[in-house]
Amino acid sequence: MTEVAQPQLEETRSRFVPGQPDMWLFVLFEALLFTGYFSVYLVSRTQNQDLYLQSQADLDLRVGVFNTIVLLSSSWAIARCVRAAREGVYPAALRYAFVTVGFGVVFVISKVAEWIHEIGMGNTFTSDEFFQHYFFLTSLHCIHVLIGFIVMGVVIYQLRSPARRSQQLVETGATYWHTVDFLWVLIFAMLYVVR
Amino acid sequence: MTTSTEGTSVSDTPPESRLGRFAWNCRHHPKRELWFAWWVMVVFYQLYGVLFFFVTRVQPPPSPAWDTPMIVQWFDDRHDGLLVGFGIVFLISGMCAPMNALLAYSMRRMSVSRIFAYSYLIMYSLSAIPGMLVMAIAMTVGALRPDRDPELIHWLYDFAFLSFSGTMGVFLVGSVVWLVAILLDKNNVFPKWFAYLGLCNALTEVVVAPAWIFQRGAFAWNGAIAWWINMVVFVTYTAVFIVLLRRMIEREDFGTGPLPDLPDKRESASAGSVGVLR
Repeated sequence: MTEVAQPQLEETRSRFVPGQPDMWLFVLFEALLFTGYFSVYLVSRTQNQDLYLQSQADLDLRVGVFNTIVLLSSSWAIARCVRAAREGVYPAALRYAFVTVGFGVVFVISKVAEWIHEIGMGNTFTSDEFFQHYFFLTSLHCIHVLIGFIVMGVVIYQLRSPARRSQQLVETGATYWHTVDFLWVLIFAMLYVVR
Repeated sequence: MTTSTEGTSVSDTPPESRLGRFAWNCRHHPKRELWFAWWVMVVFYQLYGVLFFFVTRVQPPPSPAWDTPMIVQWFDDRHDGLLVGFGIVFLISGMCAPMNALLAYSMRRMSVSRIFAYSYLIMYSLSAIPGMLVMAIAMTVGALRPDRDPELIHWLYDFAFLSFSGTMGVFLVGSVVWLVAILLDKNNVFPKWFAYLGLCNALTEVVVAPAWIFQRGAFAWNGAIAWWINMVVFVTYTAVFIVLLRRMIEREDFGTGPLPDLPDKRESASAGSVGVLR
């Protein structure tokens, strides 16, 4: 009996992905797209390494680390939100959803503050190749975060009323948010860490 | 044989011969307009690719940083191709109408407001003007008189490529309209992953905006990011929606509720005449 049940259980597990499977295709599309952008960045970097190193020195690593911690915290909060929703503890799920949005807002504010600081130092979108990529990647990522607020709006809308509460939509939203976080970690590594 | 769909019934026997069945389908097939629009779309995109990449050779785009003598030389090298190729482009530009109609039809078949279909239809109808016709006119004007003032040729070159790149904003909003309709739709006309692919496509259209600023590098109108990656995503997106529109037509039951899933291959084979137009 157990021998029969075990493969079935494993098959069910292997088929199971949190949220809509469609959203996981989005993760794949985004990963491929950003692989393209990172490839262009790295190839450009190899052609003019001195300029990139010099410009990169104007970035404050501490700000990048702060951004990363904030987004990782938001990912932790959305994971807690999903867990609470799975357990049917919806007030806690709603609270964690708001915490996720809160970390997202902190991220956007700190990113805008960093842009203002860099522009103040004379590092603009047109100043050199490194800052072209810096402003491009960070602003494209910020657009993802802003879309993430809409996604979180859907999650909160789902959690607020007992008539809705689609666990699948909550998990789909969480998958999107984790993707945004995942992309930031890669961008942080590319722009702030890689020398 | 009787081919029936919900609300539509055709009683006639299609002839045995392939040509006869084709003629029968043209007269009686309940989905003939949809298949016509779909085939127009397939032919149009094939022609568009051949004309822009191989006949006129205006794509992949040349550098915006070139000086005037190089641009004049570029026009000279493509003189015949530009005139012939864009002549054909003018001839086929009307094919956009049934194509856009089919895209709008897909949104009308969804459970969402008509606003989505109408706004999409209007936007894409207008985008053909700067994205295709204005570029074609500017390039043709440049090629028509090779002895024209080189500075004017340079001006036409910039005008044509900026006009082409300028339509990206329309494609951005169009993609968003379509993806929101798909996400809200309860009739399951398209899979949700196509909406997410649409989001990727929309984001790559945003990336074209820096082409207004840069003449060199990854963000210029011929750059690795503004053109090459964008084009790969756009071609993928287009190929996917052509296939999905075909499936939509196959599944269409002319009702207002959820689109039924496709029957399996054996059943569809026994459906007889329906396969001829595909």
